[in-house]
Amino acid sequence: MAEKRRIELMVCTGTGCFAGGAFQIIEELNKELESFGLKDEVSLVATGCNGFCGQGPLMVVLPDNIFYGWLEKKDVHYLVEEHFLKGRPVKRLMFMPPDEKEPFPLLSDIPFFKKQLLVVLRNKGIIDPEKIEDYIARDGYLAIEKVVASMSPKDVREEILKSGLRGRGGAGFLTGKKWEIASQQIKTPKYFIANCDEGDPGAYMDRSVLESDPHSVIEGMCIAGYAIGSNEGFIYVRTEYPLAIKRMRIAIKQAEEYGLLGRNILGSDFDFTIEIREGSGAFVCGEETSLIHSIEGDIPEPRQRPPFPAQTGLWGCPTVINNVETLANVPVIITRGAEWFSKIGTETSKGTKIFSLVGKINNTGLIEVPMGITLKEVVYEIGGGIPKGKKFKAVQTGGPSGGCIPSSMLDSPIDYESLQKAGSMMGSGGMIVMDEDTCVVDVSKFFIQFTNEESCGKCTSCRDGSEALLEVLTRISAGEGREGDIDFLTELGESIKDASMCGLGQTLPNPVLSTLRYFKDEYEAHIKEKKCPALVCRNLIQYYIDPNKCVGCLLCIKSCPTEAITGESKFIHIINQENCHKCGQCLEVCPPKISAIIKVTGSDMENLVQLSEIISCKEWKKNHEYS
Amino acid sequence: MFDDNKSNGKIGSALVVGGGIGGMQAALDLAESGIKVYLVDNKPSIGGVMAQLDKTFPTNDCAMCTMAPRLVEIGRHKDIEKITLSEVESITGQPGNFSVRLNKKPRYVDEKKCTGCGACVSNCPTRNSVQIVEKEKIKLQPKYAETVTEILKKHQDRKGPLMPILQEVNAAYNYFPENVLRYISQETKYSLSHITRIATFYSSFSLKPIGKHTINVCMGTACYVRGSGILLEQFSEKLNVKAGETTEDMLFTLKAVRCIGCCGLAPVATIGDDVYGKLQTKKIPEIIEKSKIKELQYAQANN
Repeated sequence: MAEKRRIELMVCTGTGCFAGGAFQIIEELNKELESFGLKDEVSLVATGCNGFCGQGPLMVVLPDNIFYGWLEKKDVHYLVEEHFLKGRPVKRLMFMPPDEKEPFPLLSDIPFFKKQLLVVLRNKGIIDPEKIEDYIARDGYLAIEKVVASMSPKDVREEILKSGLRGRGGAGFLTGKKWEIASQQIKTPKYFIANCDEGDPGAYMDRSVLESDPHSVIEGMCIAGYAIGSNEGFIYVRTEYPLAIKRMRIAIKQAEEYGLLGRNILGSDFDFTIEIREGSGAFVCGEETSLIHSIEGDIPEPRQRPPFPAQTGLWGCPTVINNVETLANVPVIITRGAEWFSKIGTETSKGTKIFSLVGKINNTGLIEVPMGITLKEVVYEIGGGIPKGKKFKAVQTGGPSGGCIPSSMLDSPIDYESLQKAGSMMGSGGMIVMDEDTCVVDVSKFFIQFTNEESCGKCTSCRDGSEALLEVLTRISAGEGREGDIDFLTELGESIKDASMCGLGQTLPNPVLSTLRYFKDEYEAHIKEKKCPALVCRNLIQYYIDPNKCVGCLLCIKSCPTEAITGESKFIHIINQENCHKCGQCLEVCPPKISAIIKVTGSDMENLVQLSEIISCKEWKKNHEYS
Repeated sequence: MFDDNKSNGKIGSALVVGGGIGGMQAALDLAESGIKVYLVDNKPSIGGVMAQLDKTFPTNDCAMCTMAPRLVEIGRHKDIEKITLSEVESITGQPGNFSVRLNKKPRYVDEKKCTGCGACVSNCPTRNSVQIVEKEKIKLQPKYAETVTEILKKHQDRKGPLMPILQEVNAAYNYFPENVLRYISQETKYSLSHITRIATFYSSFSLKPIGKHTINVCMGTACYVRGSGILLEQFSEKLNVKAGETTEDMLFTLKAVRCIGCCGLAPVATIGDDVYGKLQTKKIPEIIEKSKIKELQYAQANN
């Protein structure tokens, strides 16, 4: 790291903040620092993802550890002058929870960060991911040095096995065990693949690890290569993550220059190279056999296992595939010891897990928590609860393969087994919070649509089964559900699970089955009462203007794309249901103070007051004041 | 019945192409209703793919149990004539009265006498040799030649070169011109059907030219629960194209993509390199206009 300055600014440049204009902020900061003559006192570091993506663009000021969020270009001048020149932190830009009056100035005070335990993300927001020196200064590449100097491959495998590290990609297979199987194979060469084809919608941990700390993955890969006797590694990254690919390229180049990759690593006789392979947008490529086919240039369809890739993988050779997050754990386990690692977490699930906490929650972002923490702690303490005081409904984990966990199970701990028992799974770590405005039928439909599109089409059960599920769900959400649909969904879901070959098909009915288990009444409301309790399914709802509240401001009329609203200034507006497309724009533009537009469903639709003629707001008030 | 047909020029015979389970059943049904059937298949025997399956979805019935009775039935039906190792070349005439020209490949074995003992198969000295027919060399159009040959050269000696090659070609042209795919097939020895399957499997590849800017509306779960479905609809209405289509002026292609990893900013849409987080429907016309203006300025600057 460069010499210590008086103040260090850690500006997050992960994809979320990047999208929010982090680089414009950096440019502006540089300009302002220059003009105040602070260039020599204040240093500026472009870090990887900080995790608190909902607050981006953001930065942390060291050594005071002050957190600034939602930065805008116009704030920079004021901020530099007040804080960095005059030493008065700017309250206005600090983190402000919805229900509090005073902001939290320090990063360590913010509840979002408080409960977290950083193992994998130990370097997030502290180092510049594009500088290997920063990583080395944080004890980086110490583990690989220890490994090649003083450990045999067998020692490494035993250490990892002892730590109890399990695959973070979803299934949770013991990493040490996988390495053991591959090392027993006689056939050479052996290959190692890091899987960063993070396809689950709503999950972005792997991307964040690559963007904020690419060297930890490289080091993990080297150690793994040493342990299984492989000299060639691949890292498979989704093409949707251009920034991660760029940073990985830089990191590999730097590691090669430092002799940490390539021939005779650190003077030993161990060689290891890493090549980046890009995906091209196919969800199924996250499945290991399909990923192998994709690298080979074959049709990326999964194949039957066994033989497992650890026995017969890439080009028919033994191949170990580990998730990126798993690999980032490896260097820490080596340096700090298996015993230290196995103390974190529960009996069966050791260590920490990164989740992307998103959806209807106040603090969206990336969190790393010890296994065994309860869902309640995550949602209410770290996540800060549900926005706008809405009611919590469910949390969806495990992406399209996982399920929904209802509020009654919020006290259950997060580990591989408990989540499975709840009908969901760990998956890669997406955690999508849903509030009362989310319709479970609609969400199930969304997931099945996803898996239906992404099914590679090899197994009939997955290809046609998802189609059949989708058809029924679409019908239910359109208000055409029939008696017996629920039984059909359950039965079909179970048989798809039984009949499919790879993980995609075996888990695709989970969103439907788990919501049927916990929210059966909502399905029944859709089918029997033709009612969507969450007011989402379009065919079952109506937009309605409450005559008691409408002030005749014309805003909704102007916004309506189908000209379905009639009325004049100061006259009560009426929605013509026949023309209404239910796009919801009128609801969006109706001023919150007035909020005259409401959504209604089911039998409520029949009890609405229908105006027979155009009437002025004044007259309506007069007529109804006394009645 | 047949007299009637004759009077309107229809002939009481039918041709079924393909002797899989569907073809066999069709042939049997037709024959049972008194029509003479010709069953054509390009394989040496009828039966199709089902013979290779263990069970069939969704009833988990044994495949062989389904098809074996039909095989036997067809074998002894006097009104079904099997023509195997043959392909349809042309059809002339109209429905009910047509002639078909078949290309029947030689079998070199007398079908009437063969008992299927398999002895000749195991004794044939040349059974693994393949006859190669010289094909005409495919040439690239000048506008593609330089880039494509360069890409091919770069990845030639690599293991598993196909994906990197396709990715770079796609990056260069935004889509795969047919001739380029044929050329890649010729140069890499991957079959054209294989390459086409790969090219159509991944969502970031396209066989049709796409617009200058891609509008990606994120349909990840986080964006979806925050209303990206409505965003997509609004884009589609404003641009007058459906998801996956390109506007007439070739400026925009609208796409629904899976998670772009900006879940903190949900709902998100991107136009080219510009990311629009926490997007509201009312902002859509504005950002489309903005990209159009940007495009105009770019064009002016280049002139």
